[in-house]
Amino acid sequence: MTALANAIVIDNIGMVFGAGLGAVRALDGVSLEIGSNEFFTLLGPSGCGKTTLLRLIAGFEQPSTGSISLYGQRLEGLMPFERPVNTVFQSYALFPHMSVAQNIAFGLEMQRKPRLEVQKIVADMLELVQLTGFEARKPAQLSGGQQQRVALARALANRPKVLLLDESLSALDAKLRKEMQLELKRLQLETGITFVFVTHDQEEALTMSDRIAVMKNGKLEQIGTPTEIYDFPRSRYVADFIGETNFLTGIAEANGLRLPDSQWLEVTHSRPPGSSVDVAVRPERAQIARDTNGLNAVVREVVYVGTDTVVYLEIAKEVFRVRMQNHGGAAKMVSVGDQIKLVIPPNAVRILEAES
Amino acid sequence: MKRSSLVGRYALISPAAILIFVFMLLPMLLMALMSWLEAGQFGGVKWGSYTPEAYLKFLFDRDLSDHLVFNTDYLSIFSRSFQLAGITTFLTLLTAFPVAFYIALQTPKHRTWLMLLITIPFWTNLLVRTYAWILLLRNGGLIDSSLHSLGVLNTPINAMYTPIAVQIGLVYAFLPFMVLPIYTSLEKLDWRLLEAAYDLYANRWQTMRRIVIPLAAPGMVAGCILVFVPALGTFFIPELLGGAKTLMIGNLIQQQFGVSRNWPFGAALSFALLAVVLMFMLIYALRFRGKGSLTQ
Ligand SMILES: Nc1ncnc2c1ncn2[C@@H]1O[C@H](COP(=O)(O)OP(=O)(O)OP(=O)(O)O)[C@@H](O)[C@H]1O
Ligand SMILES: [Mg+2]
Repeated sequence: MTALANAIVIDNIGMVFGAGLGAVRALDGVSLEIGSNEFFTLLGPSGCGKTTLLRLIAGFEQPSTGSISLYGQRLEGLMPFERPVNTVFQSYALFPHMSVAQNIAFGLEMQRKPRLEVQKIVADMLELVQLTGFEARKPAQLSGGQQQRVALARALANRPKVLLLDESLSALDAKLRKEMQLELKRLQLETGITFVFVTHDQEEALTMSDRIAVMKNGKLEQIGTPTEIYDFPRSRYVADFIGETNFLTGIAEANGLRLPDSQWLEVTHSRPPGSSVDVAVRPERAQIARDTNGLNAVVREVVYVGTDTVVYLEIAKEVFRVRMQNHGGAAKMVSVGDQIKLVIPPNAVRILEAES
Repeated sequence: MKRSSLVGRYALISPAAILIFVFMLLPMLLMALMSWLEAGQFGGVKWGSYTPEAYLKFLFDRDLSDHLVFNTDYLSIFSRSFQLAGITTFLTLLTAFPVAFYIALQTPKHRTWLMLLITIPFWTNLLVRTYAWILLLRNGGLIDSSLHSLGVLNTPINAMYTPIAVQIGLVYAFLPFMVLPIYTSLEKLDWRLLEAAYDLYANRWQTMRRIVIPLAAPGMVAGCILVFVPALGTFFIPELLGGAKTLMIGNLIQQQFGVSRNWPFGAALSFALLAVVLMFMLIYALRFRGKGSLTQ
């Protein structure tokens, strides 16, 4: 990767709030490189430091340690208004005394854009977020989702090099959310803006991102493309956070694991024999069969979820989910209480890192 | 059911209504009536003999042959009062805003202490504090003597009994009334809005002008009214610090009920003052309702 391809370089950032006993370590040794025009997502549970990382990039907070560069320029000492970065705030932070149109125009006016251009951009942005006709309203006269869209429009209007979005679609209903997701993706392809997107919705992260960073307690747990993260989760934490997963624990032997109930799970691994190994299996990668080689399991529950059926099995005293598509008709074969065979292809088994 | 709830509602507001009537409306009506009566010889009024004399006296004098002659004496006292009150409002606004802003930026614990400091002067009587200013301002007083001993000045400062002394006294007396409402509106300010403004390329000054000041405007207007109106009516500050040379409306009114024994004229002056003040407030109210805010 050449130096220019990186829009943002975050180098070993640490962030501590407060001092002494009350100190909170919000970020700990975070290093990241975000490519130009990349759609990069920070994913993690509440309180893991996502907003803090965005605030450091935007310049509202100074890192305790480490440094951040934007297109090769170090950001230390630059005020937020000196950075080519715009933020869509988690709390929206719309100006209550200004109309929707004045809110959206604010950044452009501060950059002394010509009046006509400002008006045109404001109209375009309102159309983009489907709020044409709301120009004169005050933020207090808008619903939560509408406010969020104004916040989005206000930041996007400036066409910044880097756009920071802090859970910026969270207040929208499913349909509008899908539409906005598509719009954001379209904008990314059209404008060359680098998106840093914060969410704790893993599905949104998977559909929109070029790459995802999964965070845990102020640290980066794993960075990768959505497929990498989904198919090759490094740890139990990542596998659990992204999508549905089955976990099994066994004792390592050559070419497989011995499960607690003495059944044999075939998988290639490099762990020393005798060590305890966690593995993850996605529900859609396992199958149910009769009269073949497989693990013995008992059907505990069958749940119909539209296109799929989820079968809950009991194996080695653990619950194991298998997701089957309905159109094949396979789901009809099983009913609660059946003794069946669970078939897990060796390439569907992910060896997880031992928890630290 | 409707009827009884209506009765209940009247019963609920009646104590307040009675209070307002007895302590506000009734005295006002009495004053209005008095301003249209003839003055009694030793103070008071002659009930039953109506005359517009008190209002005429404001603008005209009667010469020996009983002709009305235009007289600007009282008008100039009015205009001086408005000038002093206006400058007081402006100066307190200018000084109170940074103070209130600074306090609002502190941690909650510090804020309480600083606000306590602002209100400490209220614990002693304003009259006493105004006398203290005489000790500061007079020749040979603290300011005069320290300027001399520092060698900055070798003539007396002659600050007492000048409009400037009155101005200093007024600004001093009314500053807290400006700080309090501005602080109240700044305290409610969502500081994240400032971050949003910075994020949208507004520098500190632009953020102040476009975000902080418009959002603090209600407090600033409240402060201006709280300072301007009573400053216009004060009488002991100009009397103590300004002497006879710097009369304000308040002094004039007080004189009519005191030494001059012309109650109708005092009442008429009060009403003229009231009319002008109401006009100012009306203009403000209309401006605010029409635009919703002070920006654009
Ligand atoms: N100004 C602050 N002072 C002290 N602690 C803070 C401050 N800001 C954040 N923290 C702490 O830092 C940690 C990370 O907070 P952050 O806001 O970055 O979380 P987040 O990942 O954005 O969470 P959410 O998904 O709930 O928005 C939390 O433990 C939080 O309590
Ligand atoms: Mg957050």
